[in-house]
Amino acid sequence: MPLIGALPQPITSAPVVLFIYLVLILMVGSALASVLLRNTLYAIGAFSASMVLVALLYLTIAPFLLFAFQLLVFTTVSAGLLLGLLRETTRLKSSSLGPLSREWIIGAAVSAAVLALLEVIIGVTYWPVRICCSVPPDFWATVTGAYVVGLAVLAVLVASAALGAGLMLSMPRGGQPRRVEPHVPERRPRGGGRQP
Amino acid sequence: MSAGLVLILVASAALFAVGAFALVVRRSAVVMLLGTQFMFMAGGIAFVAFARFGLGALHATAGAAVALFAGATAVAELAIGLAMAVLIYREQRNFGVDAERG
Repeated sequence: MPLIGALPQPITSAPVVLFIYLVLILMVGSALASVLLRNTLYAIGAFSASMVLVALLYLTIAPFLLFAFQLLVFTTVSAGLLLGLLRETTRLKSSSLGPLSREWIIGAAVSAAVLALLEVIIGVTYWPVRICCSVPPDFWATVTGAYVVGLAVLAVLVASAALGAGLMLSMPRGGQPRRVEPHVPERRPRGGGRQP
Repeated sequence: MSAGLVLILVASAALFAVGAFALVVRRSAVVMLLGTQFMFMAGGIAFVAFARFGLGALHATAGAAVALFAGATAVAELAIGLAMAVLIYREQRNFGVDAERG
């Protein structure tokens, strides 16, 4: 009996290989763009694109659950946090448009169409069923058995991060921002006399 | 033409290098945070690749579990880091961690 089983073979199916190459190139490219772009909004967009591409990579080489987590949880939470940062720093507190303005109605219609399309896709592809049924049977046993300490540490870590972030964001603002005043040399009166 | 462990590891190393570049060269707190996220992602991809193609394939679910933990840790780190970035912005009106370079 061999000590170590035969290693799995590389992926040789041409379409899948091309897809993996494309995903990897786009992933590294969008990561580089995210780092190099000066505009924060564009950088966040490139970062979200690279997260989605990582999810697509997981779709080809990892269990389906990891793809779903990467796409639905990690990408959404990261993009939400970054957009919350933008909202906090650019003071986008409220819109200047009225609730029944033309822009809001068009945006709501587009959002409804996209959600309806997503609903159709989910209904056709049975995503929730695939997620719960495609998990290997020993996955949860591995997570809750072999990694129970890691799971507990992770729970403490996430709770601590949430608490710390909440405490920091709830700190009172410390007055006006610090400004650097230009140095102005002190003028002395001619003749050294005293000013009234 | 095939896609195996080496290809995924090379891409993972490239992603890690991009993250390290952002962390070392850039002075914007947001971009530095994105760099750490890329490094976390690179680590997760390497774990998944070893679980799929390497010796870890005997315990394929272990690699996915570690990648799941790494992703959750990265999100927690992003939350606390962005709160710090907001504090920096309130103080300096920019995201620069260096007062001079910004």
